[in-house]
Amino acid sequence: MTLAPIDYAILALYFLFVLGIGWRLRARSSSSGDFLTGSHNLPVWITSLAFLAANLGAQEVIGMAASGAKYGIMTSHFYWIGAVPAMLFIGVFMMPFYYGSRARSVPEYLRLRFDEKTRGLNALTFAVMTIFSSGISMYALGILFEAVLGWSFTASVILSATIVLIYTYLGGLTSAIYNEVLQFFLIVLGFAPLAAMAVYKAGGWGGMQQRLPPVMTHSWKYLGDAHQNPMGVEIFGLVAGLGFVLSFGYWCTDFLVVQRAMAANSMAAARRTPLMAAFPKMVMPFIVILPGLAAVALANMSTGYSIPTKGDGLDYDKVLTSLMAQFYPSGMLGVGLTALMASFMSGMAGNVTAFNTVFTYDIYQSYIRKNAPDAHYLKVGRLTTFAGIALSIGAAYLAQSFNNIMDLLQLVFSFVNAPLFATFLLGMFWKRTTGHGAFVGLLAGTTTAALTHGLTIAEGKGGWIQPAFPFPSTMAQNFRIAICAWTACFLVTIVVSLATKAHPEESLRGLVYSLTDKISEAGVPFWKRPFPLAAMVIVVLIFLNVVFR
Amino acid sequence: MLDLRIPSGYFFAITGIVLMALGILFPDDRAPLTPLNVNLYAGGVMLLFGAVLLLLARRKA
Repeated sequence: MTLAPIDYAILALYFLFVLGIGWRLRARSSSSGDFLTGSHNLPVWITSLAFLAANLGAQEVIGMAASGAKYGIMTSHFYWIGAVPAMLFIGVFMMPFYYGSRARSVPEYLRLRFDEKTRGLNALTFAVMTIFSSGISMYALGILFEAVLGWSFTASVILSATIVLIYTYLGGLTSAIYNEVLQFFLIVLGFAPLAAMAVYKAGGWGGMQQRLPPVMTHSWKYLGDAHQNPMGVEIFGLVAGLGFVLSFGYWCTDFLVVQRAMAANSMAAARRTPLMAAFPKMVMPFIVILPGLAAVALANMSTGYSIPTKGDGLDYDKVLTSLMAQFYPSGMLGVGLTALMASFMSGMAGNVTAFNTVFTYDIYQSYIRKNAPDAHYLKVGRLTTFAGIALSIGAAYLAQSFNNIMDLLQLVFSFVNAPLFATFLLGMFWKRTTGHGAFVGLLAGTTTAALTHGLTIAEGKGGWIQPAFPFPSTMAQNFRIAICAWTACFLVTIVVSLATKAHPEESLRGLVYSLTDKISEAGVPFWKRPFPLAAMVIVVLIFLNVVFR
Repeated sequence: MLDLRIPSGYFFAITGIVLMALGILFPDDRAPLTPLNVNLYAGGVMLLFGAVLLLLARRKA
């Protein structure tokens, strides 16, 4: 793919606006709260789009098109069974405790609800994971641009990191969130025309159904037996593993996304943030997954298009960029490329701002220097931006040189993350849950995840204790590991909580469901209330699942 | 505080105008798999989107 000067001009124009937004917001960061939490000041339309965009990194955009080409419409489960129900749950049920507790971060909520050690464990693992996931996505973008555009790995990594650094340093979380919204608009306007043209060219949905094997155009029909579908998963593993444990664990507890909702200007806005975000989220598969399916259909037609290859196999990660080259002339190609860069930067800024807050408040202020004046923490927060980005770049180069280490790290992170939702669920809805229970439960969950990995095998992965239980795919194996880890954490937390001394009820007000006043919704129009909004989303969700069954 | 609709509106309006200009000046510059003048139409949509954002921001102010 070759770019014309005009494409570079569009990219440059975008960088100019992104930096300009940071510059205009620089004066707003006069306290650590302004810089790190946005001081609960943002309207709901901004927080909800940022809630989506922080997760919509380049890996997501490229990966979903790749997955669409590899597995077909089943990929939509990541949205319609995975993300959306979890987004409804956090908005309706969990946000009152996050926002109402006035905690500045998710680890800080754990400190208020449980104890210091549970917070420490969560803060530390989150901080490390955030840096590595930021580095890994930087690496993914670097090698993609190297392969497609011939840009040097170092150039694309340094350029994008510098821009994120400048606008985050200047305006903190508010600047990151503003830019995420701009990035979201650009991703939609930059990729929607591609999806529309590719699907149209492939004969619309009807034409794609004729040209693709039926297993690629049905999301539920082949889920009865793991050996009948390309993902190698069955209904229970998918619904319990992905739909419940993994996606609730991510959308309801990961500070990267929760932080966006917590920046909203009122409790009502914070609750509506994930609910309003659920509407565009449901539509995203049409923009990010359908191009992948259309690409396979086009490759089966006599259009001259074929899926890119690498060595002997197909290189699905290049599907999206190869389609851009086929459907976009110079000009629009620049917009598409800018959208890709934008999705990458929004993912990275999301990681960096979440890391900033957790490091400054939950690690530095809690363990390194307590009781300093606020100006000191503002300075630490700003400097952490530098450190976070420098560490991410380091992680990107680590990923480039030692791919296996990264795979191992991601595996370990998945063990740490799998049980998290059990802890939050019990903590928020069962007042008897204790700090000791939560801590031991988390450790038990992570250990169980590792043991399950050691006892199962899929595609040659796992089975380091005894390959006793084979799975047809690593995805099925991951779902099963998550289910086991969650269950272990859930049960151990209950048992240990009952065996240890309960927290006094007075200390749990506003943190647990049964000890928190219900929010009055008198006089609020129905379309602004959480329950009716969630109900509307569910109706659309069922409709989509039925149509693409 | 900065109204985000203003910079977003300007960005998409400018990008839209640039793309439409490309579509009008080089109408033969087509991508391999589509007969459409992509720059012209996509630019039009972006210009419209940018204008709506600016209008909304102005109405509030």
